[in-house]
Amino acid sequence: MTKPPPMTVKRLPEPCDKASRRFFLREIKGFVDNSHRPRLIVDLSAVEQISPESIDLLLECVGHAERGDGEVSVAGASPETGVILEITQAASVLNMFPSVLEAANGRELRDFESWQPRYPGDRAV
Amino acid sequence: MEMGVLVTAGGGADSALDESGLWTPSWPVLGKTVLQRWVERVQCLGVGLVSVVDRNPHERHRVHTMVEWAKEGVEQILLIALGSYAEIDLQDLIRFHSEGRRQVTKVFDQQGPLGISLLDRGCILANREEANQDGDLPSSRYDFLGYVVRLSSTAKYRQLVEDALEGRCGIQPTGSQIQKSVWIDETAQVDASAQIQAPCYIGPATKIKAGVAIKGCSSVERNCEIDLGTSLNHTSIQPNTYVAPGLYFRESVVDGTRLEHLARGVTLDLGTAGLSARIGTQARHAHRSPKLALVSQSARPDAKAG
Repeated sequence: MTKPPPMTVKRLPEPCDKASRRFFLREIKGFVDNSHRPRLIVDLSAVEQISPESIDLLLECVGHAERGDGEVSVAGASPETGVILEITQAASVLNMFPSVLEAANGRELRDFESWQPRYPGDRAV
Repeated sequence: MEMGVLVTAGGGADSALDESGLWTPSWPVLGKTVLQRWVERVQCLGVGLVSVVDRNPHERHRVHTMVEWAKEGVEQILLIALGSYAEIDLQDLIRFHSEGRRQVTKVFDQQGPLGISLLDRGCILANREEANQDGDLPSSRYDFLGYVVRLSSTAKYRQLVEDALEGRCGIQPTGSQIQKSVWIDETAQVDASAQIQAPCYIGPATKIKAGVAIKGCSSVERNCEIDLGTSLNHTSIQPNTYVAPGLYFRESVVDGTRLEHLARGVTLDLGTAGLSARIGTQARHAHRSPKLALVSQSARPDAKAG
């Protein structure tokens, strides 16, 4: 049986918190470097209207994921964030899902039973 | 026979509906507001007395004006509530009213009253108080079957813009028609690399920068700037609006920093993200991230569609 590609769910750090931003990117890079075809799901359900800094961060994630032949999905975006992602055309390089569960659709929970969070904020799906 | 026309701004038959979004009657439709277009049509009747008053129900200005005109000998007063754009043959309305027995004639379309009434002098002088509530007066009904848009929302505004650009109504855009269904004002600056696809409208003193794509019945009103590489599709940009580079708008109206996305039913502020600005009141060139610009360059879905 083929092993499913690794997946992680993240929330974006606060836009103005540069230290958290660096830490977040280090985590993503570590996850991508150690995975084949990684799937990163960014949970935006707590974001009312996404900032340009956060879009930049998402695009950096896309860049990292593409180097590992992976992909980035965003889940739970508010209608306002959906519009911002559309007009900035960031939506064209992201997979958009209504919820984290739907972003992880097709993956069974048992695939992640042995998964352990490495960093605060990581969630298994 | 002397006639006066009173245009009441700020409401109409559907004004009570809470679906208007960003819509405001001050938005121009291809160069002129609906009010300006009504006034022009009324002036074609050769009417000397034209007044625009607020529709505030507590405002006594309207009834005061009507009574004053009636006292001065004005025989008929045409009352137009700015809740719709209707291509009524005003001459025919006056003829119909003259042939009728009532002192008030109201215009209806298939959905109901359009907020347009023609009143006789005698009726105004006899009913000074009720003249402000002309719904209570006995009236004739003039059924209008021509082009009407009830301007109750941003979606209705866009419908009027699209109908005008497609030639489905009598609105003539200002500026020069440089090709079929493309109007560009002589004072607009359009970069040679911009893709302008009919039908569309570009108003006075507006700057369209390199790589911009405008199509799908889009309109850019006066004194706007659309920055590098941005695409507009079925979108209207209101006067004095700056739009940042590399963006993609569809089925939207942008007024300064405010955007209403009609397809998604969302209204939001673009100013905090630096994606648009009001020219003259804010920094004209908002900050854009270089990464966003890169994505915009590579990911624009229909940049070459024109």
